[in-house]
Amino acid sequence: MNPVSLTGPVALSLIIAVILQLVPVSGDWILWRPNFLMLMMIAWILYQPNRFGIGFAALVGLLADTLFRTALGHYVLVFALCGGIAYLLSRWLTYFSNFHRAVLIFMLVVFSELIQAFLFSIWDVTMGFQHVPILGFISAVVWLFVDKLVASLNFIYR
Amino acid sequence: MKNVFAKSSSPLRKIFLVSLFAFGLMALQNNTSWLSPIYHVADNVVRPLYWITNIPARVQEWGEINVTSRTVIEQENVRLKQESLIHLGQLQRMSELAAENLRLRQLLNATELLMDSVLVTEVIGVSPSPQSHTVTVDRGSDDGVYVGQPILDAEGLMGQIISVYGGHSVALLITDSTHALPVQVLRNGVRSIAEGTSDYNRMTLRFVSPTSDIVEGDQLVSSGLGRRFPSGYPVGTVVSISQKPGDTFVDVEVDPSAQLDRSRHLLLVFTSKDGSIDRNGR
Repeated sequence: MNPVSLTGPVALSLIIAVILQLVPVSGDWILWRPNFLMLMMIAWILYQPNRFGIGFAALVGLLADTLFRTALGHYVLVFALCGGIAYLLSRWLTYFSNFHRAVLIFMLVVFSELIQAFLFSIWDVTMGFQHVPILGFISAVVWLFVDKLVASLNFIYR
Repeated sequence: MKNVFAKSSSPLRKIFLVSLFAFGLMALQNNTSWLSPIYHVADNVVRPLYWITNIPARVQEWGEINVTSRTVIEQENVRLKQESLIHLGQLQRMSELAAENLRLRQLLNATELLMDSVLVTEVIGVSPSPQSHTVTVDRGSDDGVYVGQPILDAEGLMGQIISVYGGHSVALLITDSTHALPVQVLRNGVRSIAEGTSDYNRMTLRFVSPTSDIVEGDQLVSSGLGRRFPSGYPVGTVVSISQKPGDTFVDVEVDPSAQLDRSRHLLLVFTSKDGSIDRNGR
């Protein structure tokens, strides 16, 4: 049986993520804004691990690189590693509660910030860590909505 | 959708291969300019989305114009008229000083001052990354904008244009970690280089000797060296000076003058040697 095409819902969810990412904010909110593209990428991997894996994560990372104007490959690596962890844990995460998934998101956000700090250090750019706990917390809260959105899209198009 | 991303090989092997690919891309990007056109395409693709992302700001502006009571508008009008009068007075004084400066320079056979004209522009997008400090403005090559052009807000120097398209441009802010600009202390003319730190509220002066005459509270202005930025525009204020034991140089932290993460209306500076307005309408 041919699986239903998910191109439309995935493209729609990524466009929503890009728009949310581009909304101008000021002050510390710039540091605390969640990476919506990463959250959306993780959600699709968790809901459709048979269709979306590390290759998908790398492609979304490439999109993030062009959007964030970082060196091409920067977010490819970050997203591939975070997406890879989500992919490896996807079978177990199906049985996890929303709270436990949010905790995983918090840890993935911290992990992604550590990788980014390492990559920036290669280019001699120092990155602060004071914002990371708040960023992780906000990302975990936002995740609950992203999870609901992708679950709904997944339900409609299953 | 095909199962193109489904697991066909070991996930760990795939992660390893993608990581290698990512490092290869970064190395290529760092050593060549082959991948630059990708950013140009992405900028053009993303531009229509800025219209959507600016809706909250436009709604706010609309609200300020249409919802504000007549009394508040009248009060603001009176205040703006008074401010305009004060600024006009200051401008007359500035004109007198500029003329005097020009006469003195002619007496000394010094090079003539560069005069600047400006073009008002609006920020239509900001970089979503906390590490990359760029803004997109609604003027492009159609308006004569060029790469390297300085950009200001009402408070001070903001950055320079790095990419130009037909109807919009991308500017790199002075706080971006890849940006540096020559500055001088307004009080005594001591020169230095101000570098970005990826923090909108901080810049640093590098390689400042402990014997340099720089103190907290000193105002820094662009020095004009390198001829990229015109001289005399406010850059920031020195907020702290410290020296770690064993270090040869002192760490000088600067608070930028411009409202880098808040300003919405900016000025593009066009420099002409004779001070004439080089484009209609400026």
